[in-house]
Amino acid sequence: MTARIIQKLRVAAVAESTPEVRVYTLEHPRKPLLPDWSAGAHVDLRLPDGRMRQYSLCGEPGPQPRWQIAVKRETVGRGGSAWVHDSLAPGTEVQVSAPRNNFPLAAGAVRHVLVGGGIGVTPLLAMARSLAAQGADFTFHLCARSAALAPLLAELRVVCGERLATWFGDEGRRFDAALIGAPEAGVHLYACGPHRLIEAVRAAAAERGWAEAQQHYEVFQPTLDENFKPEPFELRIASTGEVLLVPADRSALDVLRERGFALPSSCELGVCGSCVCGYRDGIVIHRDSVLPVSARQDRMTLCVSRARVSVTVEL
Amino acid sequence: MSNTMAGPTHWDGFEHPAGRVAVGVAGGAGGWRGSLLHIHIAEAASFEMEELAEARCVAGRGIEGDRYFLGTGTYSPKPDVREVTLIEQEALDALARNDPPLQGGPIQLTPELHRRNLTVRGVPLNHLVGRRFQVGEVILRGGRLNFPCKYLEELLGLPVYLPLYNRSGLNCSIERGGIIRPGDAVLPLDA
Ligand code: FES
Repeated sequence: MTARIIQKLRVAAVAESTPEVRVYTLEHPRKPLLPDWSAGAHVDLRLPDGRMRQYSLCGEPGPQPRWQIAVKRETVGRGGSAWVHDSLAPGTEVQVSAPRNNFPLAAGAVRHVLVGGGIGVTPLLAMARSLAAQGADFTFHLCARSAALAPLLAELRVVCGERLATWFGDEGRRFDAALIGAPEAGVHLYACGPHRLIEAVRAAAAERGWAEAQQHYEVFQPTLDENFKPEPFELRIASTGEVLLVPADRSALDVLRERGFALPSSCELGVCGSCVCGYRDGIVIHRDSVLPVSARQDRMTLCVSRARVSVTVEL
Repeated sequence: MSNTMAGPTHWDGFEHPAGRVAVGVAGGAGGWRGSLLHIHIAEAASFEMEELAEARCVAGRGIEGDRYFLGTGTYSPKPDVREVTLIEQEALDALARNDPPLQGGPIQLTPELHRRNLTVRGVPLNHLVGRRFQVGEVILRGGRLNFPCKYLEELLGLPVYLPLYNRSGLNCSIERGGIIRPGDAVLPLDA
């Protein structure tokens, strides 16, 4: 579980990147610097009703006076992006958490392959900035319907130069996931974007034998699995031995909170990692898209993941 | 954050099991005179602390605008003493010189980071459980020693848990409310 400070930041500027995407520049009303961050990090924006939405930082990583986030207005979204577009203007205050990074650049890599689709380019732009500054070897595949609808295209061209390959549908150029190539030692793959794109990249990587540890994905939308039938299960509290029943229609997080546990959470969709908790003695049905495979043996997200019959949580 | 409970249940400092015992035990320090250096509040759990030039303390509730006054803090459902929390500047100074050397090096835990409401100098907080004392026109009752929590360590990304042990401050209830300002004298009562 990770708690993060929430600050009230001021919108310093709003710029249109595409007809659907706006870039918001945020600053602290009193402090010269915002918390330090590394490429791939995201912050949570708190909506007026208390819900949180995750946005990747896309400016220059490090301790900076300002942050940039790019927000696409989603027509079929959960209302967060519409609120941002309709309510945030220069001078408005907004509650923003300190950054968290679930999608960091791999340390010690010799080459990086970045694949971004649509608004998914935001964390990758920050990565490209870091890599370019280090003089690292990288390629950036940018997928969008057209150049006009590709968010942050101008910035990407400046940062990546020749290393940018654009795949715009209206030009008849479609990204072929086979382009990721063979998994050489020290090469790391990063993908962020629509579900379809991520699945294509995953499939191509699996087919070519890329190791799990060389692949990095970030998905800011819940994986909807209509066939999943939640079953009730028992939660045993490691410290007290107390057993709580989680009914089929409720989450472990809800049940624990009702019992009086003050637990952090943010997205409650299995994408942010705020509610991660240790567990043992049980088979967990992982339904999040944040925990890496290597962490799934002993960590679970309490907001969406469930267990078969019972599990002991480290609380 | 959605980890907020229904509303705050405040215990008077002398009703808390720790304070209740201490009231009946002789001891404590007298003859000191300290001062209030800073006042900080946060409107909800995890929110950045804000410094105030003046604050209103309300008996039985807390500091106006603070998370525990508003009922938006993070805490367990048990009643507790948390209307006002204090910490010694001397403890922060000790952390800044890495004394004792419990962590890798000095830690600058500035008053806006430690999440206690009042930063005081010259006030022996560990001696004030079960005692009444004055901050400006306000009277506080020492209810229990504060202890560091892992939550703070996580929130700050600083290893403050161990070095704050036994000098994490004091949780108080408000016996008599009023306005406080940095610079106010802090004095023992009934000592
Ligand atoms: S609250 Fe975001 S993963 Fe559970």
